[in-house]
Amino acid sequence: MNELSTLTSYLSFKLGDETFAANVSKVLNILEMTKITKVPKAPEYMKGVINLRGTVLPLVDTRIKFGLTPTEFTANTCILVLDIQIENDTLQVGALVDAVQEVLEIEPYQILPPPNIGSKFHSQFIVGMYKATEEQFIMILDMDKVFSTEELLEVHESSQGTQ
Amino acid sequence: MDQFKQKAIEEAYELIADLEASLLVLEDNSDDKNHISKVFRIMHTLKGNSAMFGFDYIAEYTHHIESIYDLVRNDKLKLNKDIFDLTLSSVDHLNLLLEDVNLAEEANKTRHTAKLGELMNFVKKINALIESGVTFIDLDAGKVTQESAPTPTVAAKEVESPKAPEPPIVEDKIEEAIVEEVKEKQFTFLVTINPHKELLQLGTNPVFLFDDLAELGHAETYAEIITDTIDFTTLNPTECHVIWRVFVATTQGIDAIKDVFIFVESDCDLDIKQISEDNVFERKDYVNDINKILGISETKSFLDLQYTFETIVKPTVKETKPTKASKPTVEEPKQEVSVPVVAEVKLEKTSTAAKDAAATSIRVPSERLDTLMNLVSELVTTQARLSMFAETSDNTEVTAIAENVQKLTRQLRDIAFNICLVPIQNLLTRFQRLVRDLSAELKKDVELYIEGSETELDKSMIENLSDPIMHILRNSLDHGIELPEVREKLGKPKKAAIHIRAYYSGANVIIQITDDGAGIDLEKVRNKAISKGLVSADTNLSKKDIIDLLFLPGFSTAEKITGVSGRGVGMDVVRRKIMDIRGEVDVDSKQGVGTSISIRLPLTLSIIDGLLVEIDAVSYIIPLSVVDKCYAVEHTKIETAYNNIIVLDGEQIPFYYMREEFNCQSTTPLTEQIIIVRFEEHRIGIVIDTIIGEYQAVLKPLGKMYKKQDIISGASILGDGTIALVLDSNKIIKRFSQHEMAI
Amino acid sequence: MGKTILIVDDSASIRAVVAFTLESAGYEVFAGEDGQDALKYLDGRKIDLMVTDLHMPNMDGLELIKIVRQMDTYKYIPILFLTTESQESKKLEAKQAGATGWIIKPFVPEKLLAVVEKVAR
Repeated sequence: MNELSTLTSYLSFKLGDETFAANVSKVLNILEMTKITKVPKAPEYMKGVINLRGTVLPLVDTRIKFGLTPTEFTANTCILVLDIQIENDTLQVGALVDAVQEVLEIEPYQILPPPNIGSKFHSQFIVGMYKATEEQFIMILDMDKVFSTEELLEVHESSQGTQ
Repeated sequence: MDQFKQKAIEEAYELIADLEASLLVLEDNSDDKNHISKVFRIMHTLKGNSAMFGFDYIAEYTHHIESIYDLVRNDKLKLNKDIFDLTLSSVDHLNLLLEDVNLAEEANKTRHTAKLGELMNFVKKINALIESGVTFIDLDAGKVTQESAPTPTVAAKEVESPKAPEPPIVEDKIEEAIVEEVKEKQFTFLVTINPHKELLQLGTNPVFLFDDLAELGHAETYAEIITDTIDFTTLNPTECHVIWRVFVATTQGIDAIKDVFIFVESDCDLDIKQISEDNVFERKDYVNDINKILGISETKSFLDLQYTFETIVKPTVKETKPTKASKPTVEEPKQEVSVPVVAEVKLEKTSTAAKDAAATSIRVPSERLDTLMNLVSELVTTQARLSMFAETSDNTEVTAIAENVQKLTRQLRDIAFNICLVPIQNLLTRFQRLVRDLSAELKKDVELYIEGSETELDKSMIENLSDPIMHILRNSLDHGIELPEVREKLGKPKKAAIHIRAYYSGANVIIQITDDGAGIDLEKVRNKAISKGLVSADTNLSKKDIIDLLFLPGFSTAEKITGVSGRGVGMDVVRRKIMDIRGEVDVDSKQGVGTSISIRLPLTLSIIDGLLVEIDAVSYIIPLSVVDKCYAVEHTKIETAYNNIIVLDGEQIPFYYMREEFNCQSTTPLTEQIIIVRFEEHRIGIVIDTIIGEYQAVLKPLGKMYKKQDIISGASILGDGTIALVLDSNKIIKRFSQHEMAI
Repeated sequence: MGKTILIVDDSASIRAVVAFTLESAGYEVFAGEDGQDALKYLDGRKIDLMVTDLHMPNMDGLELIKIVRQMDTYKYIPILFLTTESQESKKLEAKQAGATGWIIKPFVPEKLLAVVEKVAR
């Protein structure tokens, strides 16, 4: 049942100063920025839709979803095309990220339990933490859970809350 | 035909009753033109109908009376007492004939022979007088020698000579032609068709003629336009200025060819001549032979013709993207942009072998159909891109090819749809049976009304809908609709009504089943749920919550489980079955008034004709089927409109200002467009920036992430890759009317 | 997608037979009981062919045909008329009013379908 145990490759990406990772089995594609058609009267984190080779793909501004300021488009901004399971349906979602970094090999024993700092963390959608370097920890996300909920997720841990 | 015989007989009785009534008026006033016409018409109808349904004796009899009254109404024969008496006695005779249509009883046969004889005497008398040149016959004046009446072999000019009852004529001359001796021998004919200008205005499509000729064997059509005699700048496009020459090789002879033209003989100059005693197309070099006959050195193709036109007529400014402030007219026609009229005339050679006889059908796995539809959808999108590209290119050949591709794509789309989409009608008729049988069994008086039976759905979905809707109807009949006595006491009409309505809403099909019964007894439902332990007694339940309880498995509030509903099949099964085909069920009810159940199904195969518009640089599509009219309107008028109502063409139209709806920030254009859409009896205006044009949109769902979306029901990918959002006008109207009621 | 036919005839049984024959062949059918009644179906909806009787109360077939030929939406649709006469004068009159072709009564269902096919595809 736990797909993470079968595949140990994770794609890391940045949202602001934070680095996150998602299991590659969830990432179908990485796209460069393309024209976004805004769908009016949608939640703020729904950026709109894009044309993915003839399919209409909904696009989420992951930063807004995580309680950060909206994505500022740079040359590094990318769209991750994710394969998400919501209830009993599988669907594709595009997620805006500030930059894509690398593919990491992370064994299950290397995944540390998520920290429990107050109520600011919704630990359901964080699978665990990975110590990339001495100073840097990467949050490994459960992408299904991230996109299943309509709520904004508070990920920002530092006191420089931009809320 | 037999099932209609009874109906025809009933109708005949009614007609004869009318006849009698008219005759009684004529008795006092034999000059009453109205009633004379009426009698004529009744006879005419009776004759026609009787012949249709095989009542030959009646047909013959009424035929003669009709002829007599034809003369009377044209002032050629005076309606005197004798004729009147005969007609009146015919009423009784006709009633008799209706009872024994085939004159099975001897007594009736004898009576008929006598009566017919009496009638025939009159007819002979009258014919004789006409033959002798009398223009107004008054049988009372003077004597007429009956004996010298000429035998009715010569057809009388006004009164048709008595005909024996004719069996329905099957005018299939093509079959006759085959019987001719020249069975296997092929001849080649040259058919020259020079239509009169007005041919097209009579609803004739010349292409059908060419197709019909092709079906006789092998045919090739060549068109000629004598360009020097036509002034293209003043040409009326509804006139026909093309001459066609069709070479037909067939075994069926010249009569078969003539038959193709029966309807248009008088509307064109037709020349059919045999040019060879073999099949010219079988000759190796037949093209040269044909060119020789046509007297030309070579035939041009459609592309050449296109080029010829282009050099003669300077192309007008392309209207596909009207600039914002350029249209000063108040009203614009629905199709604001001229989509090039697809030339249906095949100017290239058509070679079609004779059609196969029997129609056969094959089974196809539905996944293959899905694949087919997906490919067709992609083709439509790609073709749109091609057309867009061709429009901006100067290359006439590309434009012509793009046009051809568009034509073919359209045809392919239609056929694919035909295969995969099926009107709900087939499904709905079985419900009528159910309602009829069940209401009789339950002793309730119910009428089923069906609207929108032409609405189409995926074939695969239709079968899955049958059970759920049957169950909903059973529920309605069993629990919802009250007994006639109860309804009467409540002041409701004794006859209950169930409406099934099917309609499109954006990228969905809605099937709504409404009854005017007792509605859902919320207390009863709540109590039942509590007693079943499904919910605790102190839980606060809203109306919606209570209704949702119905969808819990094993729920049934019937006191007794009738054989009809309530055994094992509950609303939970209904909901599940609908969800299996990715639909949703909603229930609404008002106690004492009725219940309404809506099934919402996604249109997975949907290519709709839409109107492409722009709001704040984003493209939107409004389904063309709901669009009524478009008007250009100044922004100031929108701003100053009171309560969002604007007057157009003397009508007060409420409108939605989409820029406001969508919180658009960019500068508002000076002139905007208002699209009037309709839904049921409501008409609403939708104000947008500009209209881009007509567009064949392949609908794509927005997906689950946007399931809360209200007025945007889907998206479509335009030719240049950008996305256009589909506006659900019904939702907009619904929201508006709710808003209205709230005021 | 499928073709829609408007049938106009003052006889209920003729309307029934024609509607049944056409519907069984996959056409959608609207039925009017005379010219006046027929006009209410000519309200902008898709009508691909009209089949009308000539002798009807309230508004006869000829008048109906003339009116239909004036309507922008329906100006060029094929129109067939039902006639029991094989007389040339009637056919000519109807053609002059704008009819495309005719069906002779009585007719068998196959004949009706064949003529419909001839002018509307």
